[in-house]
Amino acid sequence: MAEAEAARRVANPIQVLGRSTLAAVRMVGSVGVFAVRGVAAALTPPWFLSQLWRQIVAIGFFSLPVVGLTAVFTGAALALNIFTGGGRFNAEQVMPQIVALGITRELGPVLAALMLAGRVSAAIAAEIGAMRATEQIDAMRTLSTDPFRYLVGPRLLAGVLMLPLLTAVADTIGVAGGWLVATRVLEFSPTIYIRNTLDFLQAWDVVSGLIKAAVFGFIVALMGCYHGYNASGGARGVGRATTHAVVSSAILIFASDYLLTTFFTHAAQ
Amino acid sequence: MGVVVLALAAGFLTYSLSVGGVATKRGNYEISAKFGEAGSLAPGAAVSVAGVKVGTVSQVTLEPKTYLAVAKLSIDPTVKLPADSTAKITSDGLLGGAHIAIAPGAALDDLKPGGEIENTQGAVDIFGLIGSVIRPQGGASSDAAASSTPAPANPATQPAESY
Repeated sequence: MAEAEAARRVANPIQVLGRSTLAAVRMVGSVGVFAVRGVAAALTPPWFLSQLWRQIVAIGFFSLPVVGLTAVFTGAALALNIFTGGGRFNAEQVMPQIVALGITRELGPVLAALMLAGRVSAAIAAEIGAMRATEQIDAMRTLSTDPFRYLVGPRLLAGVLMLPLLTAVADTIGVAGGWLVATRVLEFSPTIYIRNTLDFLQAWDVVSGLIKAAVFGFIVALMGCYHGYNASGGARGVGRATTHAVVSSAILIFASDYLLTTFFTHAAQ
Repeated sequence: MGVVVLALAAGFLTYSLSVGGVATKRGNYEISAKFGEAGSLAPGAAVSVAGVKVGTVSQVTLEPKTYLAVAKLSIDPTVKLPADSTAKITSDGLLGGAHIAIAPGAALDDLKPGGEIENTQGAVDIFGLIGSVIRPQGGASSDAAASSTPAPANPATQPAESY
């Protein structure tokens, strides 16, 4: 007995390593299969247009206040910080350009996606998880309604379509936040600030941010659907699913943000 | 709440576009100017008369036969430029970005849309100038450096002038 116990203790780290590796691989595989099925359901008819519209309103329109508030405060804080940083080498005057670049390329899409991850991903996971816990998804299948078409497809589409629009709003409001602080607190000229921003910004700065946003929208909706769909264990399972949805979509947003930025940087050269 | 956010964003956007002058770009007319050296002139650079921005550079291309840089300038329609105006590439600061300054001429007829500014002065290669003053090259270099006239300072132009 003692020998077996010792052997288990020696083997334990290896077991843990193997088990977690297998779990990770299995997770990637099942998310991948889920994503492919979801995309196939989203792109091929028949579509449930009323469902799609409901999701567009829920994901897009009702996220506007939270995204707008995040953007305005971020733009304002960014303006103050870049003003301070620029002042260290007498470059306060480039603050409008840096704020605009930071907002459109990076902070607009990422912050909008993170707010969406908190708001929408959790809501989707809770909704679908509750349907799973109360066996509504099985009932749906019994009534020969494909849950992928009815639940997952519209949410994925709405995420991909609405997050770029939310990001466009966040970009505008973020620059407006920087402009407000610059003109009210730092005594920049309002028109010069805007003219500098517009002269400096290139279409690609905004477009690359919107492309990022479409990817993030897909991630947010996918993680919500995946964790909700695979929730198990009743009410506790639903709670766990929402947590997992938010955490995993936030991590994936940051990881894919870095990858996309790398890709765009190399593509631009 | 969502409507308020949308309205604020739309309001700021229309305000910016009206201030930034992008919206007035539509009626601009286009003229061209050829330069021997475009330097760091790029599309989007300002075109100014007496320091006031009157348009932008919309395109910089190379004319293959003459090896001249052709800049297309998009000019505010309220600004009429005399036909013998001079276009000059200058930089915003010592090492800043390039823009085109137009010195209006005295001719009675104006440049038509699609016309060309004949009198141009290309970008000055500051580092080339500095280099040729610090380390003058070529046979006449000692005389040129001693007389300190800026005219023969650019050694690259000398072979071209010699035939």
